[in-house]
Amino acid sequence: MTHPPRRPGAFHIGPSSEEQDFVPRATSEIPAPPRSPRAIADLAAVTLDPEEAADEELSALDAPPAVSRKRRIGFGKIFLGALGALFSLAVGLAIDSLIRDLFARAEWLGWVAAALAVLLVVGALGVLIRETVGLMRLSAVDRERRAARAAYEADLLPDAEVVVDGLVSLLSDRPETTEGRARLSSWRGDVMDGRDLIIVAERELLVPLDIRARALVLGSAKRVSVVTAVSPRALVDVSFVFIETLRLIRQVSELYGARPGAIGLVRLTRDVLAHLAVTGSIAVGDSLVQQLVGHGLAARLSARLGEGVVNGLLTARVGIAAVDLCRPMPFLRAPRPRIGDFMSDLAALQKKSERGNRVPEER
Amino acid sequence: MPSLADEARIALDNITDRTSGFFSPTIRLGVTGLSRAGKTVFISALVHNLLHDGRLPLFSAQAEGRIAGSYLQEQPDAAVPRFQYEDHIRTMLEGREWPASTRAISELRLTIDYESASGWSRFFSRGRLAIDIVDYPGEWLLDLPLIDKDFATFSREAIERARTPSRRDMAGPFLALLDATDPAAPADPERAQALHAAFAAYLTACRGDRTALSTLPPGRFLMPGDLEGSPALTFAPLVLDPGKAYSRSSLAGVLERRYEAYKSVVVKPFFREHFARLDRQILLIDALQAINAGPEAVRDLETALTDILACFRPGRASWLGSLLTRRIDRILVAATKADHLHRESHPRLEAIVQRLVNSAIQRARFSRAEVHVLAMAAVRATREATIEDHGDKLPVIVGVPMAGETIAGETFDGRIETAVFPGDLPADPGLVFAERPVDAEAPVNFVRFRPPRLERTAEGLTLSLPHIRLDRALEFLLGDYLA
Repeated sequence: MTHPPRRPGAFHIGPSSEEQDFVPRATSEIPAPPRSPRAIADLAAVTLDPEEAADEELSALDAPPAVSRKRRIGFGKIFLGALGALFSLAVGLAIDSLIRDLFARAEWLGWVAAALAVLLVVGALGVLIRETVGLMRLSAVDRERRAARAAYEADLLPDAEVVVDGLVSLLSDRPETTEGRARLSSWRGDVMDGRDLIIVAERELLVPLDIRARALVLGSAKRVSVVTAVSPRALVDVSFVFIETLRLIRQVSELYGARPGAIGLVRLTRDVLAHLAVTGSIAVGDSLVQQLVGHGLAARLSARLGEGVVNGLLTARVGIAAVDLCRPMPFLRAPRPRIGDFMSDLAALQKKSERGNRVPEER
Repeated sequence: MPSLADEARIALDNITDRTSGFFSPTIRLGVTGLSRAGKTVFISALVHNLLHDGRLPLFSAQAEGRIAGSYLQEQPDAAVPRFQYEDHIRTMLEGREWPASTRAISELRLTIDYESASGWSRFFSRGRLAIDIVDYPGEWLLDLPLIDKDFATFSREAIERARTPSRRDMAGPFLALLDATDPAAPADPERAQALHAAFAAYLTACRGDRTALSTLPPGRFLMPGDLEGSPALTFAPLVLDPGKAYSRSSLAGVLERRYEAYKSVVVKPFFREHFARLDRQILLIDALQAINAGPEAVRDLETALTDILACFRPGRASWLGSLLTRRIDRILVAATKADHLHRESHPRLEAIVQRLVNSAIQRARFSRAEVHVLAMAAVRATREATIEDHGDKLPVIVGVPMAGETIAGETFDGRIETAVFPGDLPADPGLVFAERPVDAEAPVNFVRFRPPRLERTAEGLTLSLPHIRLDRALEFLLGDYLA
């Protein structure tokens, strides 16, 4: 991209704050392509840059172009979709005939049934809207993350401002970010570079949430490790882990501003599991040492307790994957939570319970 | 080469520093820069922003609220004048003028009470950091390369420079006087005085805005300080015959003794006291003034900086280098006055400055110092705007140009707020060094602006000084001490 050379110039912006009468001056006329030195008398032509303007109008919130994931339609989906539609038709038919029957029996019963049917439709519409909004928020977070990465790498201020505006609106209902949002908006004009703005936004808005997310993940991992260590039956283990995992994913996604509905949660869970399957080998490579230490430690404890530690660690991994997928920005400067962070907490928990067990045995 | 006494003194100073540093950590910040690079403004802005809780989003200790308070403290050296921080700030904020050229050395100690972010360091240190900053006339820095040169070398180089086309006009009277002087003749105080006066006048003339040359040693001829008129400052280069021995009573002999006295009495003590014990360094470079004056001035600035920075290289090869027993582990190369450009040109300014001091940067990186190049403005005098012009969006800066500044045939009176487009810096930094056709118009034209007016909030609080990337500079220079 080459520009013709631009010439230096001065532009009069009129009787500003200075104590001088406005003196319009001629504009030196030079053909357009090389931008040459000249003065412009018309104050209206000067637009102060947004971050410079006194009333600091935030630029309109434009989401960058969506890059939606391809969701392929297979025969299975056609089958399920058609089955669902037929089932709905059947239900509709049943309700219709039910209402007709009721009208035939007593008119007031028919009216009650019709009113209930209307309520049913309203409820169904509400659920539909809620789910759609949830899905949209989820994909907004996704887009935001990609845009943040792109703006960070390009180091362009306009892009970074769009990203930060989007982030602020995503997190505007999280009370943890109130202070950070106020500071961020007061610093808007002071940050000169796109990359710096993204980093400041991460520090001010996401670091408080990261701390909360870490607490959530640790809490879930602890619960899973204790319950699996003491539960009497495998079925209890499995159902508890399943519920706990879903709960963790939902809490993490709500923490970072995505409030997925039921469908969104299912989709998110599938993404988390897929993400784990993809990144599993990488994560092991990253923290293999810690995992080995964990196993060694666990082996010295009783089998049950060791199993508890490992289950807790696996839950922590699910939690970290959920954080990765729900955080509206990739981890740029803030430290990404690692399995090792949770290891010591879990091991301490197990050691404590083991000590508690051992004391009666020695007596 | 340093004398044994030099080394002993520095070793003693270092031991004293280390012992006291154990109880109250101290960092010596070296603010290096030629005259008019903005040392005084940088120090004042740094202190003002730290004292008044300035807007420093990227200075993490401040942004995270870990700084409990900053205050000015009694400086350690009782013999050095105090840096007149309050006066400089008043000049900028009330008079809206830039501080006058620094005429003498001064010092300041700023203490920061902070909370470390890591519990481990909170346990060990009490969270107080003292920062010692020295301000001095930038001209004196030009003396540094002289220390390793004898009188004959100095004379040869000075006269060669005076005869270059760009300087010949200004050096005319001095060269004429020199031609009429016989160095072997018996010393005549009046002749020595006249030579000195002519030489000093030529150096001063080279500094004007039109030429803006930088390689003008000896520095005390431009800014004598308190030694004006003393014999050590009354010498000038002479045309010497390398094979010939001059008697002690000849003009050459006398001037040579004065030159040596200048080095040992004036130059060495200054650098020994204030440069040999630095922890961090910021090198301020005003490239814009040189670019304004043309490629000749840019190349001259490059020469001056290269000569000076060569003296900072660690090791025995230079006098100062052998004294640098403390390693400077971070060097910030700051392209100052970045507020004279729209931010879209900042990367190009950084590229030009990087090129100016490239060899020094490589050397510093080789000795494992971290080097960072940054376009910054310690005090931001302008705002940025865009203007619609011939269907084109032109990025401009808005401020009050100083009286007498001109652009595109217009002269400013120092009162009207104006939008200025200073031109585009070339994408290839090499172009500002290259000669351009004689009739070509200057592609860029930087205008100096008056300091900004500081608004007061409704509660009557004075806002902090605006700046460009001062927070990043502070984070780089001090951030790890406050981590």
